[in-house]
Amino acid sequence: MEKPFILHMLTTAKNLSPFDVNMALDAGWVSALPYTNVEASEVQGLVQDAIFSRSTKNLTRTGIFIGGRDTKQAMDMLKTAKRSMVPPFEVSVFADPSGAFTTAAGMVASAEHELITKFDTTLEGKTILALGGTGPVGQAAAVIAAQAGAKVIIIGRQLEKAQHVADMCNNEFGDGKITILAGADADKAEYIKTADVVFATGAAGIELLSAELIALAPQLKVAADVNAVPPSGIAGVDAFHNGTAIEGSISKAVGIGALAIGNVKYHTQNSLLKKMISSDKPVYLHFEHAFEVARDYMATRR
Amino acid sequence: MEKRSILHMLDPMPNNSPFDVNMAMDAGFDVLMPYSNVKLDSVYRLTQDAIFSRSPAGIKRTGLFIGGRDLELAMDMLDACKQAMVPPFEVSVFADPSGAFTTAAALVACVEQALKAHHAKELKDCRVLVFGGTGPVGIATGIIASLAGADTALVDHLLLDSALDVAKAFNRRFGCTLKGECARTEEDKATLIAEVDIIFCAAKAGVQVLSSAVLKAAQHLKVVGDVNAVPPLGIEGIKRSDLGAPLANAINAPGAVAVGALAVGDIKYQLQHEMLNFMLSTDEPVYLDFREAFNKARDILIQKK
Repeated sequence: MEKPFILHMLTTAKNLSPFDVNMALDAGWVSALPYTNVEASEVQGLVQDAIFSRSTKNLTRTGIFIGGRDTKQAMDMLKTAKRSMVPPFEVSVFADPSGAFTTAAGMVASAEHELITKFDTTLEGKTILALGGTGPVGQAAAVIAAQAGAKVIIIGRQLEKAQHVADMCNNEFGDGKITILAGADADKAEYIKTADVVFATGAAGIELLSAELIALAPQLKVAADVNAVPPSGIAGVDAFHNGTAIEGSISKAVGIGALAIGNVKYHTQNSLLKKMISSDKPVYLHFEHAFEVARDYMATRR
Repeated sequence: MEKRSILHMLDPMPNNSPFDVNMAMDAGFDVLMPYSNVKLDSVYRLTQDAIFSRSPAGIKRTGLFIGGRDLELAMDMLDACKQAMVPPFEVSVFADPSGAFTTAAALVACVEQALKAHHAKELKDCRVLVFGGTGPVGIATGIIASLAGADTALVDHLLLDSALDVAKAFNRRFGCTLKGECARTEEDKATLIAEVDIIFCAAKAGVQVLSSAVLKAAQHLKVVGDVNAVPPLGIEGIKRSDLGAPLANAINAPGAVAVGALAVGDIKYQLQHEMLNFMLSTDEPVYLDFREAFNKARDILIQKK
């Protein structure tokens, strides 16, 4: 008899996210078990307990999901998990803290789609402002876009914090091969003059880009907002917008709202959870893989 | 429609072990529910919540598993579960903290089989030492061997008092006759093993307890069993897959044979699987600990012959 699919779901938080649980079960995992308040030092023990209790054949039906809220912590846990494998006793691992990796992938892939279809260009060389970009989604989106060749500036209310996050993104997630810059929120009016793309990834209910600033943006092409709670993060972009022209934009910029991004995110997370099940060889999945999947998904719509 | 089978997995630790989770799913439980940071005084209420929420037919498809790392606490929890049952509202309970009960049961059963096959002896004819004797696997190994009639001593690597305290506590609780010993140095080990027939090694993974030099001291050694699968292994010269292979390093105990960690692991795996399976198939509720584990491990080895 075929053994059931088991996903061991690790989080540093005190609870799993019901979002991830629903997603995991809907992707085909039969059983999703929570491990909460997990500390980095416990990852090796948990992983090895998981790999040594099934035959190698059934390990292809076993997986580990890493949640939590902190991107660096999740990436560190993913690395520890990978190091803890004892081939052929090895299982797939997928890190998606706060769903940030798949959300960011959905946002960047959606923005790229608009660049290609409406402006006949790509992310390569574009100037991108990640507004409220110090959080998990902003970090992952900045890294993904930078890896695709964009010039990304993380904008935060405290320049020092934004700089710290940018450095962390460059070194920890970009292996030193990308150069994300940092800027202060107070200087937005200056930055917006050269921006091609804006990502709004701040806290829900805070307007990060006003109509006045949009009117000052001569080369803005795409503005994407992950906030689904009014007021929206970008003036004139609501949750339902999906390549919709932004009123008052002198450069005919289009907006992408939270529901359009959410749709791509949903598809991406679902695909990655399924990939863990269908892959013959163990896979280690994070924001890069999320972006590949999201990009492929958007390409099918062109 | 038949109700889905549910295993409520009680654990005093912050998280369950993914090992037990995989094993329980593979044994056929449909749904596993983890309960972490469980305190002994909540076990009564948790048990009654589990038994009073299903009909007697549904209860047959319900079980309790007790994990954790602490052997005494697990046994206390098993007792608390038993006391909370209100027949016919009663479910099966299986305690296997750190997998120690099934590991120890498999270890002793494999060694017993090698003892019979290669030396035509019984456990009750033997003097036994358990290195790593104050850890969960070591204690369970000692109790099983002692209850089977062997003259058994638990060995601590730091303090004699630790070994004596543990021996005393479990002798009172389970009616066994464990002794306590301490082996800090190579000389201590050599002195201890000189006269014994069986050595169990249940020390930490990756720690060599007995070197070839120490093994020379053994005069009557018949069987060694080791549960350490991470090199260096617990006993020099043993191989992980040994199941009655000669232990050449014990040069003054010709005929001594070895049982390695993978051989024990195979039986342990099958044993835990069958114990979990038994909870689902039994008509009468069962309470499973190291004693039932040992009986079943013996059965498994007999069937394999």
